[in-house]
Amino acid sequence: MITLWHYLAVAAALFGIGLVGFLTRRNLITMFLCAEMMLQGVAINFVAFSRYHGNLHGQVFVLFIVAVAACEAGISLALFLAIYRRGRTLDVSTWQSLRERGVPLSVDDVPLPIAPPTEPDPVLTPAGARPPQSIAEEAVRV
Amino acid sequence: MTLFAANLNPATGQMLLALLLAACGFVFLLPQPRGRSVAGGIAALIAAAAVFGAWLQESFGKPLPDMIGTVLFYFFASGALGSGCVLVVQRNPARGAIAFAFVILSTCGLFLLLAAPFLMAATVIIYAGAIVVTFLFVLMLSHQDVVSDENDRSREPLLGSLAGFAFVGLVLFTLYQEHLPTAKLPPLPAQVITPHEQVQLDAVAAQLAELQAKLHSESKPTSEELTAQLTKIEVELGNVVGLPPTNQLGFEDDGSLMRRLQIRVKDAQGERKEEADPQAAAVLARSVALRDLAYTTFRDLENQPPLTSDANREAALRSLLALRNEVRLLSTAGDLPARNVGNLGLVMYSEYLLAVELAGTLLLVATIGAITIAHRKGARA
Repeated sequence: MITLWHYLAVAAALFGIGLVGFLTRRNLITMFLCAEMMLQGVAINFVAFSRYHGNLHGQVFVLFIVAVAACEAGISLALFLAIYRRGRTLDVSTWQSLRERGVPLSVDDVPLPIAPPTEPDPVLTPAGARPPQSIAEEAVRV
Repeated sequence: MTLFAANLNPATGQMLLALLLAACGFVFLLPQPRGRSVAGGIAALIAAAAVFGAWLQESFGKPLPDMIGTVLFYFFASGALGSGCVLVVQRNPARGAIAFAFVILSTCGLFLLLAAPFLMAATVIIYAGAIVVTFLFVLMLSHQDVVSDENDRSREPLLGSLAGFAFVGLVLFTLYQEHLPTAKLPPLPAQVITPHEQVQLDAVAAQLAELQAKLHSESKPTSEELTAQLTKIEVELGNVVGLPPTNQLGFEDDGSLMRRLQIRVKDAQGERKEEADPQAAAVLARSVALRDLAYTTFRDLENQPPLTSDANREAALRSLLALRNEVRLLSTAGDLPARNVGNLGLVMYSEYLLAVELAGTLLLVATIGAITIAHRKGARA
């Protein structure tokens, strides 16, 4: 027989896994997905209690959680885009200048790889447009 | 201090072992430039899952009368936890988003087992449909042109895993402690009211509405018609909720609903306390209230016949409306989990109307905010 305790235990484990991911990962998007996973754990708790008490208040609460999570996703993705435009990366460690005063700078043990020099993209002349040429060159080519 | 005074029996050791194994698995598996051991991590995680499942089985429920429900529960729970682990340790964020979608689907399976079909549908549509797709979209937009291998590194994998699993351990240990004194938790409640009783209650409500319409209309019914209809309603309602101890018929009668619920609640107060069903008690209280309300209403209608004066007619209409509302409420209060969508809507738009409006406003503000933040300055619209 599956009781309330089973659901509560699974929800706690889901919340904990999300917490580990949020604490350790460095990609902003992965961190955010882990936070959403923690919300799912909380939602399981609410639905299980709602079933246990035989009323619907827990389910209504979960509906509000879903609505707030949707708002949160929209806003945070817009913020990620803005951050990416400034820093060209989604690594949270590049935003360490926002840290609290007195907290030491965290340095990677293994240094980041040096970026290879990027070749500039080749530029093609637009099709159908004739490049400006002098009349003398034209004559030579003919 | 009660935490340390607790008896450390084998079950607690089992739980600690599961948590330690899981923490080891995460330390091995979390992406790092050096020293990542995929095989060892997966083995540790599988061992942790096995020990955790054994602990759940051992401490919270050994007998397995509901085979299909149990199997489905373990299937969905392991799906959710396994996909969650994949999301945490996956290097590629796009694959992480897919794993997140699987977490959502498994959670929706758990919702379905918990009799919340509307929430299941809403979560699939909103999370797996909208949020994951938006994440993938942003992931494609932010294609990394500077080489920064943040996906291959973790911040403090050891400390992070220990912190997370210490938290889980505390929660599980508290659950276990709470669970010990009561020994056995009541099973999750089933539907309290039978479909037959529901049909009867709905018929009574329909007849009350008809009576109201008759009293309202210009062609007034004769008083014989009125008395006949009132008696019919009283008898039908009495079949379900019973008659009060001091009725004019001179005998006491429990309706079908009352008889069944009284047995259930009485059992729960006596020696079979573990089968206490809060919903059954609530429905019983509501049906007793309805029984008394019906009795006073019908007595008033007899003492002050609605056809004699306009004031009496108004009072009769008002009391009939109150009675009809109570009948409808009793008819819906008893049926959980069935008709989940309708009842959810009833609760949301009656008790949580303000919160619904606020959530709508929040969504609007979030939309405007997202557009404002993501808007590129100087770009043409």
